[in-house]
Amino acid sequence: MTATQEPTAVTHGGTKPAYKYIGSDRKRVEDPRLLVGRGGYVADMKMQGLLHAAILRSPLPHARIASIDTSGAEAIPGVIAVLTGEDCKAHMNPCMNFGPSTISQYPIAVDKVRYVGECVAVVVAESRYVAEDGIEALEVEFDELPAVTNPHAALEPDAALLHDEHGSNLGYERTFEFGDITKALDDAHLVVSDTLHWGRSAGMPMETSGAIARPGTNGVLEVYCNSLNFSYLQFLVAGALRIPSNKLKMQPVAAGGSFGSKFTAHKVPTLAAFLALRTGRPVSYVEDRLDHLMNSDHHASDRYYEARMGFTEDGMITGLDVDVVDDYGAYLQFGVGTHGNALSQATGPYRFRDLRYKLRAALTNKCQQGAYRGFGSEVHNWVLERLVEQGAKKLGLAPEEIRRRNFIQPEEFPYKIPGGNVYDSGNYPEVLDRALSMIDVEHWRREKKRLREEEGRYIGLGIATTQERSVFSSTEFWFWFDEPAFPITSSPESATITIDPAGQFQLLLHCQAMWGNSPETVSTTVLAEEFGVEPESVNVSYADTSRALPGTGPGGSRYTVMVAGAVRGASRKLKKKLIDIAAHSLEVSADDLELVDGRVQVVGAPERSLGIPDLAASAYFFALNLPPGMESGLEEAYTYDHPYTTLPSADRSDLGVFYPIMGHACHIAVMEVDPDTGRCSFLDYVAVHDAGTVVNPKSLGGHVTGGSAQGLGTSLYEELAYDTEGQFNSATFLDYLVPSANEVPPFRIGHVETPSPYTEYGIKGGGEGGRMVTPSVVSAAVDDALAEYGMHVQELPVRPATIVETVQDAIDARQ
Amino acid sequence: MKPPRFLYCDPDTLEEAVALKSQHEFDALVLAGGQSLMPMLNMRLAGPEVLIDINGVTDLQHIGRINGTLEIGAGVRQSVLEAHSEAAVAVPLIAAAMPHIGHIENRHRGTVGGSIAHADAAAELPCTAVTLDAVIVVRSERGERQIAATDFFQGFLTNACEPDELVVAIRYPVTSPTAGSAFTEFARREGDFALASAGAVAEVDADGRFTSVAIGVGSITTKPVRARAIEEALLGRAATSDVIKDAARQIGDAVTLSSDMHATSRYRRHLATTVVTRAVAAAAADAQNRSAS
Repeated sequence: MTATQEPTAVTHGGTKPAYKYIGSDRKRVEDPRLLVGRGGYVADMKMQGLLHAAILRSPLPHARIASIDTSGAEAIPGVIAVLTGEDCKAHMNPCMNFGPSTISQYPIAVDKVRYVGECVAVVVAESRYVAEDGIEALEVEFDELPAVTNPHAALEPDAALLHDEHGSNLGYERTFEFGDITKALDDAHLVVSDTLHWGRSAGMPMETSGAIARPGTNGVLEVYCNSLNFSYLQFLVAGALRIPSNKLKMQPVAAGGSFGSKFTAHKVPTLAAFLALRTGRPVSYVEDRLDHLMNSDHHASDRYYEARMGFTEDGMITGLDVDVVDDYGAYLQFGVGTHGNALSQATGPYRFRDLRYKLRAALTNKCQQGAYRGFGSEVHNWVLERLVEQGAKKLGLAPEEIRRRNFIQPEEFPYKIPGGNVYDSGNYPEVLDRALSMIDVEHWRREKKRLREEEGRYIGLGIATTQERSVFSSTEFWFWFDEPAFPITSSPESATITIDPAGQFQLLLHCQAMWGNSPETVSTTVLAEEFGVEPESVNVSYADTSRALPGTGPGGSRYTVMVAGAVRGASRKLKKKLIDIAAHSLEVSADDLELVDGRVQVVGAPERSLGIPDLAASAYFFALNLPPGMESGLEEAYTYDHPYTTLPSADRSDLGVFYPIMGHACHIAVMEVDPDTGRCSFLDYVAVHDAGTVVNPKSLGGHVTGGSAQGLGTSLYEELAYDTEGQFNSATFLDYLVPSANEVPPFRIGHVETPSPYTEYGIKGGGEGGRMVTPSVVSAAVDDALAEYGMHVQELPVRPATIVETVQDAIDARQ
Repeated sequence: MKPPRFLYCDPDTLEEAVALKSQHEFDALVLAGGQSLMPMLNMRLAGPEVLIDINGVTDLQHIGRINGTLEIGAGVRQSVLEAHSEAAVAVPLIAAAMPHIGHIENRHRGTVGGSIAHADAAAELPCTAVTLDAVIVVRSERGERQIAATDFFQGFLTNACEPDELVVAIRYPVTSPTAGSAFTEFARREGDFALASAGAVAEVDADGRFTSVAIGVGSITTKPVRARAIEEALLGRAATSDVIKDAARQIGDAVTLSSDMHATSRYRRHLATTVVTRAVAAAAADAQNRSAS
């Protein structure tokens, strides 16, 4: 699997400023240490007296815990403690929760288990081996309850209740209507409808979630952790642990991937912290793969749709009507934020104005959902594109043509969509044209016919476009509720730049940034652009919560935009100080000075200059050389707030601006499908993305490639499957099929740049786009390949069995 | 994912290994390449008292012709067999099947005897053994015996070894130089266990008619099986795609595995037919090429 890059097209009239570092195709600064095994992951940490925890996972989907006999485990030499839900009830508060307060959760099940894999008890021992021996020695009596596995059945009045206190398995329900959908569909020339199911998959980082908690000095509990967006959410963990937030110090540790899954993965650090508090010793809890697959709260959307779309005779979309039941599993940690995401780009890149969106969040005996690349918007994209595809077919339009007709035009931005979110900028026809220029679609259409006739092979083309919203604002988490408990409007990011006495740069980041998003490459590139020093010369470190400024971390494709804003803000402050010192030393006006390539020089007389080391020496050691009243030292911090957020209206007829930095993408795939085995393979694949100003084509290309590979997994391979009894069938990588380099085609990548008018340098987020398009493209291509058999993808992943059975049914029907 | 406590034995010689197996019988498991056993240990699906690690037993690592057979020591790494040109000439079906076993990293570690002894119905080497009427050589302190492959594989992960016996070698009859060989399988991803697999070895006469044909099928029931009814149906018939496809259809009736998340039973029946059709067709084509050259 390799990716190739086409050169970048600049779309804003050739006026893009000439950047020296931004946009250059440089190697990532993170890679040297990662490639030689010096990442420093949590499982590599050694600590005196460290204990290890293992978890007994529920074998049953739904049961009351009648009794737990811990004596056998406690008798094993090396077992230090056994903890159960009773300990949680006695010594902690429920975990952080953005869903209804009637659905509470602890890191160890209290009274009931609600899914296979839920934590029943924890054994803490001197090694993980002994801890697992302890797990085997536990004796638990369960009183089984009926398993609720079908989300529609869960909403029936006679269904067994997951949470008695909540009173039903309907976690949440709301219908938003913008415009007049009834009229839009009544007046349509054609209405297409579909019943669709997007199956569960999840980000599968190489490294699972893990944490070490250690009782430190002064009563401070130290937590070293690769998960949880700690600078945003630490106070909630402290609240669950019943300790003051200034006595909980969370230190981010390098993470081996997240893809969203670690963003709010709170149970792992909360549990490790609880175990350390109860035992008074340092405790490590690092998930193994079984733990991670069954219980890491990273299972993603699992949605059942009834959806309709209207078209005029000439293919203009008139409206979209969506009725979705989302199988959220046993808890609702985020509320229904994944649907807020869908609403941020509910109409896609298209111009229609009438939209209805009905959501029912079902509670079932499955692991709860968490975050995964796309955060629910990718599912909606798939539904939207499935309907557009169907409309094009029925109207006899080529897939590229129907999209071209419906695109919002470049001069219409900023564009307010039904619902209230604003798209900042874009040039969708150019992205489509760029993609079509990279692959000869007409050639492949001829080849498809020829190969079918001459060789009996089945080739299909898929074309899809997508919006790629970026830089979330937190209102999407609460505008669902009329009276939200905590209507947060902040999602800031911070950076601190220090120039040391020798003139070298330190850059301090204030969140768990190491989730595979090239945070150091991006932030040092911006710093380099501002000061004219090489990115590789900058040292990056990460604040713990005792020092951290406001931060929100990588999520919703926000980090590149936000850290660029923070670094640039801190740079401006620090540059001013450097110039003021130089002005004083050179006895010139600050207005006559500029910072060029690491030196402050007189405009028009660059021989009169001072280097940053000279200025740093003055700042630290020669106070009498500083302008009167200036503080010694060279350090500035800046907190960059979300560039464009507005409040939802009280009646929610307008949800406000909450995800305005809007990227766009077009993918085209040529696939071959074997009707006798169901094997799907790729003959070509083109992916063109517009993420505004590109900071680094290599790291952005990596995002497109990785995201598309994950989209491919969701489309054809990956499935977190529960059977009708609630048993979990995907607990190992034998059954959970992550595509490997053998399955992932070489993506040919192109970039278009439509800068955002609202962000520093015009950068847009680009971390999720690949996964937001691939499922639509694969579905369309598989349908196209087997069109003569009536293939119509309605469920992901597309299993080989479904392909073969569809073909066989069609053959049987002909006979 | 940490194994329970066990006694670890690391014999240097076959005699020592056999003695240990005789001593511990059911309580001992044999560690060869560990590609199946180590995950089972770590997930505590297996909990032996004793682990006999035969990786140091050099007596088990030979490949060579003996009395019209190709004998492969149980400890031979799969990647060594894959790269062995003499083995590929003697038994071309092995060479055809090897690339389907996991990934090259698995084959660097996995052994021939380990795969045979593990007796997975989806594994490639057991399927080739059944196809070719190979013989499994097992040894205990009571002596050595040879077990026909079709008798050796008894059911789900079950072989015919007595508790004191160790698999020491597998003997494949050397394939006729005029016979064609082919191995076909389908797995959802490269390197996964096949949802259905088929090995075929065939000879065709000058008129293009089958004069001999052997077909083994994996992953359709609890053990690899011969498709004897199809073999009989094909003998003497012209090796055309219609004839092969028509005969192969009856393999569907032999599928006993029930539906799982990767394959419905209806799909598996069709897939079994497909892989048998393709393997037999490819073997016949190979035979015709060999006759022509």
